[in-house]
Amino acid sequence: MAPKAVEDKFRVVAVLVTHNGALWLPEVVAALGSQTRPIDFISAIDTGSTDLSTKLLKSARIPFITTESDSGFGKAVSLVVQTLPECETDEWIWLIHDDCAPAPTALAQLLAAVQDRPQVVMAGPKLLGWHDRTHLLEAGVSIAGNGARWTGLETNEYDQGQHDGNHDVLAVSTAGALIRRDVFEELGGLDPNLTLFRDDVDFGWRVRIAGHSVLAATNAVAYHAQAAANERRIVDVEGALLHRPLLLDRRNAAYVLLANSSGWLLPWLIIQLLGSAFARAIGYLLLKLPGYAGDELLAISTLLIKPQRILHARRLRKKHRFVSSRIVAAYIPPRWSQIRHGSEHVIETLRSKLFRHEQASQTSSVLESNEEDEDLLTPVRSNEWVRFFKRPEILGFLTLGLITLINSRQRFGDLVGGALALTPEGASDLWRLYFESWHQVGMGSSSATPTWVAIIALGSIFTLGNASFFVTVLFLTAPLLIMWSALFLLKKLTQNLWISIPAAFLYAISPVTLAAISSGRLATLVILMLAPIIATTIYKWETIEEISWRKIFTIALLLSILYAFTLMAFVVAFIGLIVVSISDYEKHAQLADDKLYANRLKKRAAAVLVPFLVNIPYSLEAIVQPSRFLVEPGIAIPGAGVVKTVLGDPGGLLPIWLVSPILLVLFVSLFSSTNARRMAEYGIGLLALATVISSIDISTHGNEASTRVWAGPVIALATLAAICAGTVLLDRLRPTLVLSHVHYRHYLAAFFLFTTIVYGVMASLFSITTGAQSLVQANRATVMPAFLNVEGDVKILVLREVSSANQSKIQFFISRGKDISMGDPDVAPKQTDAIAQAALGLIDGSGITSSTTLSDYGIKYVFAKAPIKKETIRAIDGLGGFTRTSETAAGVVWQVARETGRLIFKAENSATIFLETGIEGARTNLPSAGTLVLTETYNRSWQVLQDGFRLERSKNEQGLPTFKVEKPGEISLIHDGTIRRGWISLQLIFFVTLVVLALPSGRRKREISDKELA
Amino acid sequence: MKLTRPIQFITIFLIVFGLANLVDATTSSKTYTESFPAVVCPPTLAGLSSQISLGSTKTQFQRLQDKTAKTAAVKLLRLPVIADSLLVNSEVTTPVVWQSRAGRWGGAALCRGPVASQWFVGASADVTTRGRLIVINSGLSDSIVDIQAFSEKGRQQLQTITVKAKSYSVAALDSFAPGDQALALLVEPQSGRVNSFMIDEQGQGLRSIGGDLVNSVSSASKSLTIPAIPSQKPARGQTNSQGHTIRILAPGQVDADITVEVLSADGVFVPVGLNSRLISAGLVTEFVLKPEVSSEAFAIRINSTEPIVAAVKSRITASGKSDYVWSTPAPELSESTIAITGLSPLLVFAGDQINVSIDLTLVNGKIISKSVVGNNIATWRPPASARTLTITTVKKGNFAGAIVTSVNGIGYFPFAIGSELVKIEIPDSNIQVLNP
Repeated sequence: MAPKAVEDKFRVVAVLVTHNGALWLPEVVAALGSQTRPIDFISAIDTGSTDLSTKLLKSARIPFITTESDSGFGKAVSLVVQTLPECETDEWIWLIHDDCAPAPTALAQLLAAVQDRPQVVMAGPKLLGWHDRTHLLEAGVSIAGNGARWTGLETNEYDQGQHDGNHDVLAVSTAGALIRRDVFEELGGLDPNLTLFRDDVDFGWRVRIAGHSVLAATNAVAYHAQAAANERRIVDVEGALLHRPLLLDRRNAAYVLLANSSGWLLPWLIIQLLGSAFARAIGYLLLKLPGYAGDELLAISTLLIKPQRILHARRLRKKHRFVSSRIVAAYIPPRWSQIRHGSEHVIETLRSKLFRHEQASQTSSVLESNEEDEDLLTPVRSNEWVRFFKRPEILGFLTLGLITLINSRQRFGDLVGGALALTPEGASDLWRLYFESWHQVGMGSSSATPTWVAIIALGSIFTLGNASFFVTVLFLTAPLLIMWSALFLLKKLTQNLWISIPAAFLYAISPVTLAAISSGRLATLVILMLAPIIATTIYKWETIEEISWRKIFTIALLLSILYAFTLMAFVVAFIGLIVVSISDYEKHAQLADDKLYANRLKKRAAAVLVPFLVNIPYSLEAIVQPSRFLVEPGIAIPGAGVVKTVLGDPGGLLPIWLVSPILLVLFVSLFSSTNARRMAEYGIGLLALATVISSIDISTHGNEASTRVWAGPVIALATLAAICAGTVLLDRLRPTLVLSHVHYRHYLAAFFLFTTIVYGVMASLFSITTGAQSLVQANRATVMPAFLNVEGDVKILVLREVSSANQSKIQFFISRGKDISMGDPDVAPKQTDAIAQAALGLIDGSGITSSTTLSDYGIKYVFAKAPIKKETIRAIDGLGGFTRTSETAAGVVWQVARETGRLIFKAENSATIFLETGIEGARTNLPSAGTLVLTETYNRSWQVLQDGFRLERSKNEQGLPTFKVEKPGEISLIHDGTIRRGWISLQLIFFVTLVVLALPSGRRKREISDKELA
Repeated sequence: MKLTRPIQFITIFLIVFGLANLVDATTSSKTYTESFPAVVCPPTLAGLSSQISLGSTKTQFQRLQDKTAKTAAVKLLRLPVIADSLLVNSEVTTPVVWQSRAGRWGGAALCRGPVASQWFVGASADVTTRGRLIVINSGLSDSIVDIQAFSEKGRQQLQTITVKAKSYSVAALDSFAPGDQALALLVEPQSGRVNSFMIDEQGQGLRSIGGDLVNSVSSASKSLTIPAIPSQKPARGQTNSQGHTIRILAPGQVDADITVEVLSADGVFVPVGLNSRLISAGLVTEFVLKPEVSSEAFAIRINSTEPIVAAVKSRITASGKSDYVWSTPAPELSESTIAITGLSPLLVFAGDQINVSIDLTLVNGKIISKSVVGNNIATWRPPASARTLTITTVKKGNFAGAIVTSVNGIGYFPFAIGSELVKIEIPDSNIQVLNP
């Protein structure tokens, strides 16, 4: 030990606590011995080390005592302090961990910092990493409202003196903390309940409310291995349940907050702690770290089930409190500072992506041009913004953005039209549609709501729950997102941005994209966006054994999103599975490697079939309604048919002269000797499949007329294959053309480029001119006049001339008083034949019984939407049983003469009572026995309860649910949603499992190397 | 380079494309419902008598007041109507009604299905008139009907009447423009299954001047042809023929410049003063037409710069009795069937080049084919035993009307289709109906 050089008035006693720290102890001891301001006295305590720690202490001639291995840090320090002689004036304790080596000047700097600050009773050094000594760990510490340890630093922040200075802080780490002994003893030392972790914050807090100050003196430096926190040694202190440091840390964090905070804050803190524990537990589960997730939940629950410990701690603290607990508020980080940290990280990432050449270019300019010393002083002129706008991707995106903006001039607002129904304003309406078991659409339906409704509702988070705005933004930004995702893929096929950018641009203005946007096809848009990303992960489809299982599940997750929007994606994937499996079977004949082929089949089947399970129950219903395999979300409006499909246009009001070169590209690429050929083969296969699909007529989604299938999703994939093939072809062809004499390839390439450029120009011109007159428009007038919704959920038969494929035809549907909303077509029930017959009778004037039929089904009004043929109006006027109630610009309304309602009670004495109901269920009194008729589609989940018993349910002549009432009394009508809830729960389980399997696994800290930690 | 595989791909693709196209072409089908709406014949008002010429004894009919939908076969080819208006399911054949007041006047009209609007040009509202407008609601709901009258003094106040379900309303013509001489009416139902008929009957004191059933046109047009105007040579001792009165109305806001051409066996000519004559908008205008023609009937063609409606009133004296007839415009002749049992009409065809093929069914079921060919005008009187007359083929630009004479007076009806085939594509349930 070096002799004391009396340069200050202080006496410093170093307290070294060791526990299995032999790895770091030699350096720690050396560091203590080499302090420029010698330590006055040093004492150590070992807490049951099983390694060489005690031997090292002995050899260093440091006096030490030993204690049990489960002794906490605070208790150990107290034991040492008790062995010290009586406290002198200006005596300080310097707490040293066995994995913390102070720099030689550390003590001197700490003492210098407290020299003229009598209010400071605790001071700590700047803590740097043990391995990477530029890694800034702490310069003072605090605690966030959710219990997180708050240093105010960024992750892996590099120390370049940016935080230097003496800072008033809430606390400093006990590693290297200098504490005035009298205050330490007065406050009772470190809380023995905090055996490890957070004892520093707690002590700092207590110091603060006792009227003292805590200082982070960054001129003093110490290097800390954080061995316990980083799981470099087993935590076996008392109360460390299961020896889990995270559990201990979280529990202690909660303890510190609950023991020290103001009483009125406790309820809020408990909620916050529980909420953040759950959130973090979910996060850990997603990272496949169930142990950490358990730690989070166990920590808070073990604390809360023993509140007396906290109450005792609060009583103790009250004794030493001289100032309000709120004094520490200034040191508790506000919530926004955590958000700011996160957002700064995102902005920085974005900036580095946008200006990725910035650093390189600056460096190169310095090295290359500033050869003279004086030039180094000349500021470098940065033309970054000019260069930024000259970059091909920026030019491409800006051009597309401009075209999209002009093309979307009719689509600024709530979108509706084509296949797209009006989106409800709130995401809650979509969630309701998703979860409810009964849908008030037409005569009512219990069909499973497709998963895409939940995805749109989830996406609305980005627009603060405004689903309508989210859909508008989605359609506005779709071309840009499509181009971005295409570029993501094409950059892997070519390094030449002057090929990949125009190719991505063409993909974003391809006929299928334009048609999907103009006719409101959500699924095709989603496929256009996601297909390139999936293609980057699935390019090894034929040698799938090279892809890890985690990646397979990532593919399955992405495919789940596609299946959610359209099961046509499943059809394509399933055909792909069969085709490649057959090909494998043929290969197996040559190379009988059972394991390999079985592995391939398993992986492919998992990728294709797991998403099908994630989309239950909608996907399972498709098995009994196969037309669902060929539909898009929304209204079933017809596709273009076979001929236009071959040209890449699925149908969407595109002019005939806008011919896409997709077929030409695919045919030419077939003759290539590069990868373009394989891509073209896939493209041709997909285009053939699209051709077949587009020739099929189906009746679905509330449209009973045979409607030609929209093959957009498959055409999107074929278009992507064509774009990829063309990109590879041009990329490989260019060097050949440059080096060879002019021959047929030059002419072919020229023709190829010419047709592509012509299409690009024509499509752009179309987009900014007549292309804006799309089926999807913003803020259209509603079909149903507002006055028809006054009665609430009343059924109205609506007749309207609907135009499709240049023909108009009167069609009908049952409204519940208002227009349909997003998702309604997907769950719409099948046509009721009797109602269809009644509607025909209305139109051709033969429906003498139409009025009776409609009233049987609870339809109160008939509404002929203008414009409609006068003959039709006259025909309805001429029929009996309808009373014309209004004629406005919106149309003509007739009331069905015979009274009707949703819930009709026919008493035994033949009296009929029309009962009031809610939107779905009802609770009412019946005066006598009789029959109860519900004018909704029959479904097993309709139940009427009386005195706790279910009434007998049957179908009446009209096929409506009827209940036999035996006695008078109160009844409850309900639609039992248990089955729906069960399905959703199962879907959620499948989804969460898939997400967990798809996400990269997290690692426990002990699994992370020192280098990485540094 | 191996070409086999690409060519295989292209071939398979082309085969798939061809097959898909074939499937696409064969699967497109539509389902329709076709029907001829029942036609409505006017009721027989007090003092009048009516007979409806029908094409078949199996034709189903129903009295307007019947509350049920039941119909019965007529069992006759010429059905006398006691009082009620009748609904007749005559299918493709258009029945013709003949109404008369014994010994005073007679008139003919087509029984027709409900129409969106009807223009009646004829009759008057002065002291001589005993005319009436009959508005029939053959539907099962009440109907509201707008009646807009025009006279030589201009547009009159709009009148709106409500006609109860399965009933008719009779309004005196002098209530529409009291005291005015020249009348034109537009009957436009706002709702309901409505047909109207106009009876023009005039007299001075106890002396009957004559009467007629005035046929209607559905809308005003810029070119119209009145194909059959009876022409009577001056009686012995008289120097001039009685002449004809053309009544014209331009119902719009702008005056019409009209030219009247006479199509007769003597050729086509524009009478003096009828070339580019100005007709004031909204005012019913009349002027005398006295063409020198040798045939028993002639036609006129009116071309106008604005849409007009018109009719020609001709007075005929026969067997010492004087009656008049309103000849109204006819639509272009098309394939159709009209029942003429017991009428023995004089058929008049007009057009630059007339070429019409006719199948005439006699009461005994025998069918006689006849071809009418000519220029400007051609007439043909079918045998008295004729039951139905079917136009099988017709050249474009031909028009036809019929003049019927009887002991009670003279009548006219244009050749038009009483009940158009209604072909309705069977509606489907489609939720798109509820999407803006």
